[in-house]
Amino acid sequence: MTARDSETGRDRETERDRETERDREAERESTKEATVTDANAPMIELTGVGFAYEDAERFTLANLDLRIDAGTVSGIVGASGAGKTTLAKTIAGFIPLNEGGTYRGTASVAGRVLAEGTLSEAAAAVGLVTQNPFNQISGARFTVREELAFGLENRSVPREEMERRVDEVAARLRLEPLLDRSPYALSGGQMQLVAIASMVIMQPPVLVMDEPTSQLDPAGTRLVYDVLSTLSDGGTTVVIIEHKTELLHEHCDSIAVLAGGLIVRQGPPGAVLADDRLTSWGVGETRVTTAARLARERGLLPVERALPIGVDDAVDAFSTTERAAS
Amino acid sequence: MTTTTLYLERTSALHRLNPVTKLVALLSIILAVFAVPHWWIPLGIVGVVIVPAAVLGRVGGRLLRLFLILLLPLLVVLFIIQGLFYPDGSTVLWEWGLAQLTTEGLLFALTIGSRLTALVLGSLVFVLTTDPARLMSALTQVGMSPKIAYVISASLQIIPAFQARAQSILLAQQARGLAIVGSPLKRARALLPLLGPLILGMITDVDERSTAMEARAFGATPKPTSLIVVPDPVGERVARWLMFLSAIAVVVLVVVGVIA
Repeated sequence: MTARDSETGRDRETERDRETERDREAERESTKEATVTDANAPMIELTGVGFAYEDAERFTLANLDLRIDAGTVSGIVGASGAGKTTLAKTIAGFIPLNEGGTYRGTASVAGRVLAEGTLSEAAAAVGLVTQNPFNQISGARFTVREELAFGLENRSVPREEMERRVDEVAARLRLEPLLDRSPYALSGGQMQLVAIASMVIMQPPVLVMDEPTSQLDPAGTRLVYDVLSTLSDGGTTVVIIEHKTELLHEHCDSIAVLAGGLIVRQGPPGAVLADDRLTSWGVGETRVTTAARLARERGLLPVERALPIGVDDAVDAFSTTERAAS
Repeated sequence: MTTTTLYLERTSALHRLNPVTKLVALLSIILAVFAVPHWWIPLGIVGVVIVPAAVLGRVGGRLLRLFLILLLPLLVVLFIIQGLFYPDGSTVLWEWGLAQLTTEGLLFALTIGSRLTALVLGSLVFVLTTDPARLMSALTQVGMSPKIAYVISASLQIIPAFQARAQSILLAQQARGLAIVGSPLKRARALLPLLGPLILGMITDVDERSTAMEARAFGATPKPTSLIVVPDPVGERVARWLMFLSAIAVVVLVVVGVIA
């Protein structure tokens, strides 16, 4: 890549950022009047949210703004230590309701400020799947079947309904062979599937998942993403914290990049994952993008062409270039 | 099923009984055998109630094995110490140096031993034939707080949880050169570095576990429902009251001196 190319790219990015900022500003203005009944109001809205853990020297989240629409699948990416888990807990209301520290700003779900309610209300509005499946399971149930029903029991769901939902979620996530096994007799990947199923079964309107596929094999990962897509089609708002950018590109409606306690970029997966600054934010681009970038440096792809993210984009980009060349 | 309980899954009338009924029967037996000052009563209960119950529950073989492993050595020690060194013994049957085998010592050992046998075997039959999940559900159904049920269930599961975590820490440390070889003492010493990460890890996990429990609505309602509903027929409820009242009657008869 030449210096001129790089400069052109930077100019393009700056312009794109300005546009995004203008769009966001316009959206902010339009949602000032949003109410719970406003169909255009975002499902999740964080405005000026900051949080510092007790005795921490700096704010993990600093004056952060984030909007996520209802029924969408959104990915959150960022370097290790960027505050992704803190952001997940904030969206779910556990910060500030269950975590000591300095909190400022407003986080609302479906127009309700979670910090003004109880933790139980927040948990009913947002389902949170934590990072470690070992800690997600109750530790007090003797079979996977009972483990899946644990949350439903706590919500006083009638037994017949529980049985129906257990069978349904077990079929969706292919857990039937594990139903009569002890949760502690499972492998890491199986335990992670059970942890996800234990939250999916509760059918929360918003589902926040912190690295839900970290221990899963490719088949298990695909299965989870298919389920999440189905849930989203049914109206559930899904937020996924994930490092696997290929998957996010394939399944998300939008991606937000968290760096330095701020959302530094949010938009459609194609635009965000093609951003030249991605690696400087500590986020890995897709292998396809890396390959395309190298191809562009060798003159195999035109500079003005946006970098492809997924395999389909790459095939399209190279086919177009090939046709143009011939 | 990986738990610390000894439960054996079988098809039997004893397995089908409501766990609370079995628990009340066990407590009634314990109350009666410890109230009555005769060694033959506990042994009679073992012969007439506990052993037939084990056979009915198809856990007789396991009960015998556990008796031989757990209880028999204890009984032998009990008879040696109490039989030979009972301080208030006057009827000496045999003596060798300081050791004196006395009738009083033997009777005392027999009384304690028979009570212990009834207590341990009765408890084992209960544990061997009672699914812990059904027990927790049945106890919650009769009014036990779900939070107490959680604590009991979590305690039963803590050993497999510890095992799983200890195994992963051990593997990680072995991968970094920890060698567990040599004499038992050396091996035990090599395992010491496990303790820090194991205990500290479990403590730090408490925070995330509590977050997960909140996310799964634990404690959201005082009356949660249960996936497992344990049948509780009228006959069993009546039997529980009869057993409880009989045990109380025995205690009263002992206290007023009718049974001496």
